[in-house]
Amino acid sequence: MSRPAGRRAAAATLRATIAQAAPTLRAASARLWQRPGLPGRYRGYLCAMHAVVRASVPVMEFAAGRCAELVDDPVGGPLQAYLRHHIEEERGHDDWLAADLAELGAGADPAGLLAQPPPAAAALVGPQYYWIAHVHPVAVLGYIAVLEANAPAVRLVDRLTSAGIPERAVRTVREHAVLDTGHTEQVFSLLDELPLTEEQLRLVSISGLQTAQALVGLYLHVLRRNPPA
Amino acid sequence: MNRHRYSLADLEANGIPTHALTAEQLEVLRDLTDDEFTLLVDIRSRLEAVGPDVQAHSDIAGAALF
Repeated sequence: MSRPAGRRAAAATLRATIAQAAPTLRAASARLWQRPGLPGRYRGYLCAMHAVVRASVPVMEFAAGRCAELVDDPVGGPLQAYLRHHIEEERGHDDWLAADLAELGAGADPAGLLAQPPPAAAALVGPQYYWIAHVHPVAVLGYIAVLEANAPAVRLVDRLTSAGIPERAVRTVREHAVLDTGHTEQVFSLLDELPLTEEQLRLVSISGLQTAQALVGLYLHVLRRNPPA
Repeated sequence: MNRHRYSLADLEANGIPTHALTAEQLEVLRDLTDDEFTLLVDIRSRLEAVGPDVQAHSDIAGAALF
């Protein structure tokens, strides 16, 4: 199960692959931040991201649980250790989003937020449950890598506040612009440390690409609901 | 087992620009599986739908994921 001699580093391979998805992700995201109608669209974006982020810890806990079930799998132990650590880093971030929504006066009642998540959020998170349950929990690293490697830029805070959005309603964007740089390095370092088979690395790559594809769909969902005026 | 490798022409014809890639990055893309390639081509095809007029904003915002 060890890495074949001469095989490329896993992190470099994944970086090269998902880098090709980044322009579409950034362009789709950028459409959200056009000035006309930005406050309303920001609210839609927070709701959509809440639907996604509320699943972050449960997905990772599911993957960590599957790791614990693996027998004679050299990936399971270190992957589980990473996930247990990252779960604590991500815990409660859905509450940050709910608090930002409350600051917008946008009805951040938890029951209301949970009642009707967009199908695009389920399309984003759902594949992880399949890959983790039926193939291998290492798939979740592709999901995490894409999310962490595409954190908000610090300057987004200025763009939002200059459009009249209260500073106190952009906490999640501001915090993640700083936090996720370190988290990105953690996940890519882990990829190089794990004794991944060729098939497992392909699974991580597929998971990452599928994540990017679904994220574009999620952004377009927000845009359709809140088009630039 | 010899697996199919994508050519530069394959990549370019499917919306994956190659001119700015390092040799290592190019080799990664040439070695994509059919499933990876299909996903990537679909993602790249949506770039045209998004449109070039908002590219400047992407420099401001990143992809804004948590």
